[in-house]
Amino acid sequence: MWLPFSATFQRNYLVMKRAFPWSFFLGHILSGFYIIIFAYLSYFFVFKKDLSSSFSTYAGTNDYLSYVILGGLLYSFSVSLLMIASRALITELREGTLESLLLTPSSRKGYFLGYVAQGLMRVCVEFAVITSAGYFFGLHLHHINWPGVLSVLVILVAATFSQALVLGSFMLYFRDTYITQNTLFVMMGLVCSITFPASFLPDGLRWIGNIMPLTYGVDALRMVWIEGKPLVETIQLLWKMIILGLVYFPIGSFLIKRMEKYVLEKHFG
Amino acid sequence: MIEAKGIGKVYSVKKKKSFFRSEKQIVRAVNGLNLTINEGEIVGLLGLNGAGKTTTIKMLSTLLNPSEGTITVDGLDAVQDAIQVKAMVNMIAGGERMLYWRLTGAENLRYFGKLYGLSGNALEKRIKYLLDIVGLTNASDTPVELYSKGMKQRLQIARGLINDPKYLFLDEPTLGLDAPVAKQLRGMVKTLAKSDRKGILLTSHYLEEVEELCDRVYIIEKGSLILHDTPENITASVVKDYHVTIETSVLSAPVQYRMKQGLIGCTLGFTENADSTVMQIKAPFDPTAQIIDLCVKESVSIQKLELKRPRLEDAILALAKEKSA
Ligand SMILES: Nc1ncnc2c1ncn2[C@@H]1O[C@H](COP(=O)(O)OP(=O)(O)O)[C@@H](O)[C@H]1O
Ligand SMILES: [Mg+2]
Repeated sequence: MWLPFSATFQRNYLVMKRAFPWSFFLGHILSGFYIIIFAYLSYFFVFKKDLSSSFSTYAGTNDYLSYVILGGLLYSFSVSLLMIASRALITELREGTLESLLLTPSSRKGYFLGYVAQGLMRVCVEFAVITSAGYFFGLHLHHINWPGVLSVLVILVAATFSQALVLGSFMLYFRDTYITQNTLFVMMGLVCSITFPASFLPDGLRWIGNIMPLTYGVDALRMVWIEGKPLVETIQLLWKMIILGLVYFPIGSFLIKRMEKYVLEKHFG
Repeated sequence: MIEAKGIGKVYSVKKKKSFFRSEKQIVRAVNGLNLTINEGEIVGLLGLNGAGKTTTIKMLSTLLNPSEGTITVDGLDAVQDAIQVKAMVNMIAGGERMLYWRLTGAENLRYFGKLYGLSGNALEKRIKYLLDIVGLTNASDTPVELYSKGMKQRLQIARGLINDPKYLFLDEPTLGLDAPVAKQLRGMVKTLAKSDRKGILLTSHYLEEVEELCDRVYIIEKGSLILHDTPENITASVVKDYHVTIETSVLSAPVQYRMKQGLIGCTLGFTENADSTVMQIKAPFDPTAQIIDLCVKESVSIQKLELKRPRLEDAILALAKEKSA
């Protein structure tokens, strides 16, 4: 598993170095940015700094700006990561390299981990850029529980990775990235407590948020970041992410394996 | 040895009838095919477009599972033991895919080498060796997107050899290549089989290529085997005619007559030019020696002599004619 990991990591690193995917990079930063600006403007000009009391009850904080900025930050983090992992195989298919990959007896897990590990390099840069931009719009950076932040992110990465395998299988099945990914991402922006607590949503929509690791990740991150709370207080949220990851992983692995064969049968010419 | 027993492949395709309705359709791409490939042997797989060659190769290289029948590679099942089989085989397709264009030649091979479990010094040595035998040592640090078609194809060969496979499948490897490049590639294929003892299966549009390289040939049509033999036997059994064209000094009518008498069983035709006669001879055997004898006896000077052997191409054409008749 180590060799395919390092092979894939190195390959993508070289490709990134030679042709930095500026459009994805800027796209992700902008999507985080828009959320921040939208929240900033509505806070000052629509609500006029007047939050309803139900917001603070549901959100667990009064610091609306930090709440939304962290939402935007983690949203773009999660979307980036989902895109990197889920598009891996369909990109190979489009570039005509899927067959040469599937000819090898290599472990697909090592391949995906290498892909994601390399992708995280870029995602972390995006994260840093959005964080510093957020700072100017009022994201506070003091009394943060940094080890807590790191732990939340690690668990979120693992759970999102599993989710990406499922998403990737859908992309292979429909041979589409655009509609599949954008439907999911718009949905995630709406139901994952990014700009407002999911509890405001009608029940018919809330369950969608409940099966997204991001919903729990973003709430946990806010607790350890905005309120500086100890990690133990987020333990319930962390467990939910871990369980989602453990559910998505076998489903995703199974589906990806099936879809690899499927796509070879369907794609020709 | 690779042994395919009664393999078949059925694709189901959705045929759009209208925007909302589609109908499932079954395409039988390969049908009950038996095939063997031994070490050190080059086997040809021939057929028209859509005959099922690529599908067969994809099944042999574990990319597709057969819908029926079994494939064993040195006793290992291509579906059950796919991982072990993948380590022993490799496949090269014509065209410019299966490589990363942003990477250099050496980086491509390093990537694939690792996916086959090679690393460190052994890998670097293998990369160097392969780049050398495909003549890309000087281009090893150039990104593949700057390669010419022929260079990409040669790098593909190197990729196909990175795991030192025992069996190699070549799907139209010379498609779209210039004649000299194609020739060089044929030489390489020959060496791989004869010196390195690899078992090779080759599909090609170019019959001359198959005739030159292959020890045995399978001809398939609509997924079914129609003929399996050596190229020589196929040619001999199907095409029985040798064609000789000979240009001599002008022949008088009596000489022409005696020539006809002398060449029993042959069909002769004469074309008179201003200062020469062109004689066309069709014979069920090679009549060259007899013709020369006759010319010497008649004191006729020979200006040009051309023998056209029956070729595999003629055989295939004849077969196709037979079928449609
Ligand atoms: N993935 C596929 N799905 C549906 N039909 C296919 C697929 N691949 C090939 N076919 C059909 O199967 C037949 C054999 O194709 P192929 O194996 O590519 O032939 P060849 O390589 O000899 O040209 C053709 O009729 C082709 O249209
Ligand atoms: Mg083909």
